[in-house]
Amino acid sequence: MSGFAVDPCDQCEELLQPFLDRELNDEERAIAEEHLDLCGYCRKRYRFEEALRRFVRQAVSEDMTPELKTKLSELRTPLL
Amino acid sequence: MGETAPEAQARKLAEGARDRVRFEEEALQLADQVYRVARRLVSSREEAEDLMQETYARAFRSWQSFQPGTNLRAWLLRILTNLNIDRGRRVQRAPDMQPLEEGDYFLYNKLEESTHDSNPDEDRVIDRLSQDDAVSALSAVPHDFRDAIVLVDIGDFSYNDAAQILDIPVGTVMSRLHRGRRILKRELADRAVNGGAEE
Repeated sequence: MSGFAVDPCDQCEELLQPFLDRELNDEERAIAEEHLDLCGYCRKRYRFEEALRRFVRQAVSEDMTPELKTKLSELRTPLL
Repeated sequence: MGETAPEAQARKLAEGARDRVRFEEEALQLADQVYRVARRLVSSREEAEDLMQETYARAFRSWQSFQPGTNLRAWLLRILTNLNIDRGRRVQRAPDMQPLEEGDYFLYNKLEESTHDSNPDEDRVIDRLSQDDAVSALSAVPHDFRDAIVLVDIGDFSYNDAAQILDIPVGTVMSRLHRGRRILKRELADRAVNGGAEE
């Protein structure tokens, strides 16, 4: 290990979250995009991350019961 | 001709009642979305239901402190989060200080290894995760990190809204989100690969 050289895939891995959150500055975004154009390994993992976020959001989504909905409505201030 | 004092008072009362009804209707329309977030901020459905009722009771009582034009869903969740803390339902600060060596590719790499396919597509890899894995992995993420994930990734709040709801700086939301997602991926990997066994 040279200790100084940055592995481009490691760097791309670090940029994954802010990239998908659109939080990178122009320079960082260009670094990530340039690397992703060339690297199928990272591209696949970026696509997976997007799919994973959708999957988790859907998987943990639980609707409230109609009973709770009714109870909440009953908390309204009665009309005079 | 101006209105008389009793007329003015009656008009004011009527306007106040109309505003209140409108507020209550808007708040109730958001209840499904608020519940979906609330359900994952606490560990059981019963807790989430209690919190929802307390939140809506308080919101309806103090509706006049809501500033029209601001984010009502965030306002409701701010009440809910404060009630959750007040009730001592959670330890307010439980930062995970353990070093986390797994990066953002960790979960994919683990799942890919276990597919016995040299180059699977992402959908096949995602298929290795079950809904139960997702629910239990998320609940295993420590509170502080989970709150950030639930608000931003499940509730679709901006970093700014999440910061206001949790009463922490935006930078802290971002760092908790970043770390929390990595913890979540580690938890998912534990569940999906060999049923939680170490390598």
